[in-house]
Amino acid sequence: MTQAWQGKLEKLDNFRWKIPQSYKPGMKVPGLIYASEPLLPGIINDKALEQVVNVSFLPGVVKYSLAMPDIHWGYGFSIGGVAATDPKNQGVISPGGVGYDINCGVRLVRSDLILDDLKPRLETLTNSLFNNIPSGIGSSGDIKASAKEEEEIFLKGAMWAVKRGYGAEEDLEFTEDRGSIEGADPSGVSVRAYERGRDQSGTLGSGNHFLEIQVIDEIYDEEKANIFGLFKGQITMMIHSGSRGLGYQICDDYVKSMISCLNKYNITVPDRQLAAAPLDSVEGKAYLSAMKCAANYAWANRQCLMHLARNVFEKVFNKSWNSLGLKLVYDVAHNIAKMEKHKVDGKERVLCVHRKGATRAFPPGHADLPELYKKAGQPVIIPGDMGTFSYVLAGAIGAMQETFGSTCHGAGRRLSRSGAIKACAGRNIDKELFNKSGIIVRAKTRTTLAEEAPEAYKDVSEVVDVVHGAGLSVKVARMRPLGVIKG
Amino acid sequence: MKPFEIIDHTADVGIKAHGNTLTELFENAARGMFSVITREGANPQGSHVEKNIEINKDAGELEDMLVSWLSELLYIFNREKLCFNSFKIAGLNNNSLKAVAGGVSIDLYQNDLYTEIKAVTFHNLKIEEDVEGFNCTIIFDV
Repeated sequence: MTQAWQGKLEKLDNFRWKIPQSYKPGMKVPGLIYASEPLLPGIINDKALEQVVNVSFLPGVVKYSLAMPDIHWGYGFSIGGVAATDPKNQGVISPGGVGYDINCGVRLVRSDLILDDLKPRLETLTNSLFNNIPSGIGSSGDIKASAKEEEEIFLKGAMWAVKRGYGAEEDLEFTEDRGSIEGADPSGVSVRAYERGRDQSGTLGSGNHFLEIQVIDEIYDEEKANIFGLFKGQITMMIHSGSRGLGYQICDDYVKSMISCLNKYNITVPDRQLAAAPLDSVEGKAYLSAMKCAANYAWANRQCLMHLARNVFEKVFNKSWNSLGLKLVYDVAHNIAKMEKHKVDGKERVLCVHRKGATRAFPPGHADLPELYKKAGQPVIIPGDMGTFSYVLAGAIGAMQETFGSTCHGAGRRLSRSGAIKACAGRNIDKELFNKSGIIVRAKTRTTLAEEAPEAYKDVSEVVDVVHGAGLSVKVARMRPLGVIKG
Repeated sequence: MKPFEIIDHTADVGIKAHGNTLTELFENAARGMFSVITREGANPQGSHVEKNIEINKDAGELEDMLVSWLSELLYIFNREKLCFNSFKIAGLNNNSLKAVAGGVSIDLYQNDLYTEIKAVTFHNLKIEEDVEGFNCTIIFDV
């Protein structure tokens, strides 16, 4: 069903490619794609570039419709798409620029353990994580919240979890927006959304969501790594999850409501999944404050997941998580829309930055960074596939100048899910990973293993080299997987 | 005519549904969606349940009703763990739909389900007429 890109793509330099505004009538800005020569064929043979063009139709879009090097075909925005809209220039907000899994994101936990400490217990630890962390389709967990408490989660995010004893106050310091974005309004959350969120706190979900035990095998920037508390040979843990059924339902509710008001605001979009409403309209404001409820829920969820995982470590190592040094390095959102200050043509403006499969990457000195990280820049957590590497980067000034403080979010898919299943037919992916690299993988279904096989993804190192080379973020450390649990 | 085919999508999953009539298209789209969830050809076991489904909404396009119909089934699947396998639409127009959906009550932990569908998207959604009747490509967020 995919069809190669036939349009113009101008090479600006080794990392930047432009789709001129003249490509299609209705484009309000050009498209700007961050990619390298080796990544380009995969991008061109996908439908993602047409989606970059579609986003450039949004009213009030500023400068460019941007795409990160992990770009691939999604719905509405491409995955890896970034666009900022200006409320002072009829700018809109589009739920399709955030996606159904609102505040899907990643957190990285470091430890005082090294590989030799872990090796004898890796299998026990992986099995125990798999048995104690609810995962899979529609998974529900032991962390239950009443309707009243759910409202608390919407308003307070990760703070709710910490107050309940799931973690420490310090964890909030190292979470984007301290795990709680201001302006959430539960009155815009439907009964159905409440219902779907009720018993899913502290659940991983399925698909590409995972929890991974890793070891740092390469440090690129000693100074920044020191600041983040990272060193070669250190054991880390990465958690990838989002806002579960609650986020899906909020997005679903608001895409429908925005489709019905496209005429009212005289907005034309090439794909109805991009339905949008002006930022200053009733519908736009309602979506933003409901979206924030889901964003806060997701931060609470990842906080709960980390708490469950810390408990498992405590049992396996017979030590408290504090004495194991299981501290949060950082937690980033990669599906979100946020009102942020950015300089456009020398003037500071408040813009709505949509990041759909893209990570915030604020540079050193930015006011929103934790004090401890002011000198290094914001940690950017980039999960790769389960057979190769993941990365820690740090936000850089280039991101503020070019991409509204954004960078890539992962490796990006190369194969469709059915393509991956075909490619893996008759193979035992978990056995292969174990025999080849000693990686222990536990998954709910064999299909998930095939869909998430390493070859389904682009080369994460190539993706990271592009954002590093383009100056959007800098490489700090690389991790290799040891134990993986998949939903 | 195949009732539906599963199609490739880089990040997500899609189906192309067919129908001699619009009601048949809607029924086959629902069949396609559940075969994405349970895997093509799978036959989850459990006690049989029937549900009456009625959707009334402001007049929009027929595509909007298709998304509402599939979203409603998905919602019931998530809430009640009902895996639907038969669909009979009794009435359909741009602002109302009446149907009976039959299926089985399943235990999510016992059944090795295939894919979690997060939502039914509007991405490039268009009901088209062809020589055999109607077709529509639907992308699911998974």
